[in-house]
Amino acid sequence: MAQSAGDRRRINGPEESFSPVFDDDEEDIKLKTQRSRAAGDIRPIFLQPGLISQANGSAYIETDKTKIACAVYGPRQTKTTTYSEKGRLNVEVKFTPFSCMRRRAPIRDAEDRSLAVSIHQAIVSSIRLELFPKSTIDVFITIIENDGIEGCIASASVAASTALADAGIEMLGLVSACSAAIVGDDIHLDPSEAEARASSGTVILACMPALDNVTSVWQSGHMTADMALKCMERCHERCIDIHSIVAQSLLEHRTAA
Amino acid sequence: MSSSSITKPSAADDTLRAQIFQRLHPRVYLERFTAEKFRPDGRTFDEWRKVSVNVGSISTADGSALVRMGDTTVVCGVKAEVAEPDLDLPEQGFLVPNLDLPAICSPKFKPGPPTEEAQVLSDRLNEALVTSGVLSLSSLCIHPGKAVWTLYVDSTCINYDGNAFDATLLAMLAALRNTTLPKATYDEETGRTTCSRKNRSPLQLERHFASTSFGVLETSHVLSDPTAFEEPLMDVALTVIVDDHGQLISTNESGAGISQETLLQCISRAKERASQLQRLL
Repeated sequence: MAQSAGDRRRINGPEESFSPVFDDDEEDIKLKTQRSRAAGDIRPIFLQPGLISQANGSAYIETDKTKIACAVYGPRQTKTTTYSEKGRLNVEVKFTPFSCMRRRAPIRDAEDRSLAVSIHQAIVSSIRLELFPKSTIDVFITIIENDGIEGCIASASVAASTALADAGIEMLGLVSACSAAIVGDDIHLDPSEAEARASSGTVILACMPALDNVTSVWQSGHMTADMALKCMERCHERCIDIHSIVAQSLLEHRTAA
Repeated sequence: MSSSSITKPSAADDTLRAQIFQRLHPRVYLERFTAEKFRPDGRTFDEWRKVSVNVGSISTADGSALVRMGDTTVVCGVKAEVAEPDLDLPEQGFLVPNLDLPAICSPKFKPGPPTEEAQVLSDRLNEALVTSGVLSLSSLCIHPGKAVWTLYVDSTCINYDGNAFDATLLAMLAALRNTTLPKATYDEETGRTTCSRKNRSPLQLERHFASTSFGVLETSHVLSDPTAFEEPLMDVALTVIVDDHGQLISTNESGAGISQETLLQCISRAKERASQLQRLL
């Protein structure tokens, strides 16, 4: 991957370098698409609030290989001088260079932005922004290891909501999120990267299970409307499970502190 | 504040007042502690923070490590890529260490390009790794003049509570020790390099070392392993890198000078600490 030329602010390597090419790539991909759990099962979740001591609130989430750290700073004063009655939510996503199979050169690309928008959408309607006029809440997300973009968006939304709760920011409810992929005629929940690549379409659902409200749905690829609704239903069921994990981890963190 | 809360302060009131005092008069706050031979986090001057090292947990990297030094947390991942060597150094691979201090790790940093601090730290880390000769660059050669390995040693700070240099160097060295490279063959006819997934071998590291940082306050108080609160208040910052045979690799002192005695004392303490850290790897 080419480095951004002449970046004096970093230690630069050679002008060009390439990801190694393996002689048995196809075999490897076939091996990875095999699913070791049932179609309706999600990967085990490890969630720990409050790991980042410098932040107002934080959460670390691990779903099998996917590892994401999230920190909330603020609310702080908005920099722009125009008056706004509602607070702003600022979501920034960053991939570590070693988070994907190919190295990501440390320049902001379009994927960070689109991920940030999806996560923003998933959590923004849960926060009582009307309580923070002229203020901005910063949510910073670092993806340490990525195993499927869909799973990353879902896990990062859960982590962001947990971190916001840890920061003591008023919300209507905790957000949980789950993803699904159509593989053949089956619905596989929480697909890994190889599974998502082999699928014909994906759905990511974010909701507030306590209020039985949906905050964001993101469907891509082709599938029948029936299938999409079925995916959403399955995701919603899992979101209720995830919600209890989030609530439990927050409760344990509070009682330990 | 009402007079009753002054006469009968509750524990919560006291904590809040201490926090405000710390914000407004950080230096005086620290001096109150040092006068009692203690530091704000309860450590004595020469006490280190607890260090934990966890290697190989990131499967997308060729080698990885997570280091926690007190609350400071640094993740390091090594990615190996194939590149063409420099014309005048046909057998030398590349070692490219970088440290990122993203906005997530501290309210000090804002999103955007690397801060001055990140640039300085990256440069010092590069110097430490290159000048120490931790890895012979010719061992990264696949085919002279055609293909060599480039090792990108990227570190990201997740939680910044001071002494990022020591934590990052430890993470980078642990990640390099954990790194395995696939067996690569260069095909002279096609000019392509292919690797085997099954056949991997670890890097041959030439030297083992560790760095130790101190902060000196008023020439007499030597605080080891300073936190993010203490770091900017120090008169002198001192970093000593020693290898496992007790040989000096680098000494970096900045700020108002210190006496020779203090320096020698710090070096001998650094040797002690380096062998402690080596045991963790």
